[in-house]
Amino acid sequence: MNIKGLAFNTFKESARNKMFYLLVFFGIIFALSSKLISFLTLGDTIKVLKDTGLAAINFFCVLIAIFTGINLVYKEIEKKTIFNILSKPVTRDHFIIGKFFGLALTMLVALIAMAGIFFILVLLVGGGFDFKILLYFFMLYLELLIIVAISLLFSSFSTPILSFIFTVSLYLIGHIMWTFNEFKSLLRSPLLEKFTHMLYYILPNLDKFNIKNEVVLDLPMRTGTILFSILYALVYIMALLTVTIMIFRKREFL
Amino acid sequence: MNGKLLAVIFLSLLLLAAVFQNRYDSTISYFSDRSTFVSLPSGKALKILSFGYQNLTADLLFIWSIQFYSTYYLTNRFDYLERVYNTITDITPQYKEPYIIGALIMVFEAKDIPMAIRLLDKGSRNIEKEWFFDHEAGYYCYKYLKDYSRAEAYYARAASKPNAPSFLKRMKAHMVYLQDDPKVAYQMWLDIYNNARDRLEKDSAFNHLYQIKAEIDLPVLQQEIAGFKENFRRFPATLAELVRTGIAKAIPRDFSGNDYQYDPLQGAIKAQRVFKWKQR
Repeated sequence: MNIKGLAFNTFKESARNKMFYLLVFFGIIFALSSKLISFLTLGDTIKVLKDTGLAAINFFCVLIAIFTGINLVYKEIEKKTIFNILSKPVTRDHFIIGKFFGLALTMLVALIAMAGIFFILVLLVGGGFDFKILLYFFMLYLELLIIVAISLLFSSFSTPILSFIFTVSLYLIGHIMWTFNEFKSLLRSPLLEKFTHMLYYILPNLDKFNIKNEVVLDLPMRTGTILFSILYALVYIMALLTVTIMIFRKREFL
Repeated sequence: MNGKLLAVIFLSLLLLAAVFQNRYDSTISYFSDRSTFVSLPSGKALKILSFGYQNLTADLLFIWSIQFYSTYYLTNRFDYLERVYNTITDITPQYKEPYIIGALIMVFEAKDIPMAIRLLDKGSRNIEKEWFFDHEAGYYCYKYLKDYSRAEAYYARAASKPNAPSFLKRMKAHMVYLQDDPKVAYQMWLDIYNNARDRLEKDSAFNHLYQIKAEIDLPVLQQEIAGFKENFRRFPATLAELVRTGIAKAIPRDFSGNDYQYDPLQGAIKAQRVFKWKQR
């Protein structure tokens, strides 16, 4: 069994999960309900519709990424199916990479389903097709891939509950990384300042993928910023997968 | 315990709950003033706490504010009005509607014009290319504060922004006129007239020029008629007599090129068309 096979199996496994359908369903329902929320505002109702719809999709996609990611490796170990897989010509490295790509495919399908409904809704209310929103979904997908990699990392050595807490914490911290620089300036100890500085570069900076404001308010975006965000995501995912593989290689299953 | 008994117990408990609800309601006056806020975090704090969902947070707060400030029985609802809109606009400084709607609430509901102008100033700072905030601030200064020089400054700033509509220049000229500076206003309107891009603008400028020219010319003519009467103990038979007797160098005409209407019996002079733009 190669990485491709593992990835498709992971995708099938995720797609069979009732939680996955439930979250996609709620994501779509909330995206559609943005139309109701936009009724309550004054002025640009399409802006509110886009804000609410994109936020709903973002939130439920993150939930899918976390809930499916934290269970994947743990379930295989818990149900002892990992012995079956590793007895085939599959290395532990392939196993992790295959799981990651399987989850990435799951996220892509979920995102396409929600984004499709969202685009139809925006078109129906006369919002027109906006290529910038496509860019937003692409950036969101990169963020989701990082979250998947983080949940996979924790799933490789921890229980689902702890993995959930760690992943959610990193997700929340990742969105307030912009406050670190300000926080650093408040510290009086040079050692703590250096530590905060180090954390700033080690922890995932997820807010750079959040371009909702630019997309919804049609603000200018720099190509360089987008490009560096993409490169950051790719490198950070590779780094996370490397650590996961390192941990997983040493993991005892018995 | 059979089903009927359970149903009776259920209905009895429901009835009891209704009694308690009724007693609870008697202790509360829903339609009276109450403390409007327990706490509203600053915009920066909310930005942090929204964890990447700033737009949604701002939208929800904005929608809440629209509903809240439409709750007319709360007479103390304006206590933190400025704080609320500053928070919303701190979370998403590029969101235009809260500035405009917030200013409308401040002007028409809270009757606090300076507060509305502060909010619009903030909008103008945060979204530099937007002309609408300065236009709104100019209008509030003109209409409610009667501060025409400040209104003129706002209209001048609005008119200098990209895609600003042409009427802003007209408003600016009108503010100058309202400051009783007809000569400068005349020059400004003349510039608008000469560079008008459409019929409406040209006609509007024409009407203003007609009015202002009459306002400049008529007092001078009236003074010359008074001077004539002082010398000759009668009103001039025609305006041309003022020139013939050397009291006036020339008789001005209105902006259409027609003579002003002169009544030799009363010694009164007026323009053919009268506008009431000077109403403040």
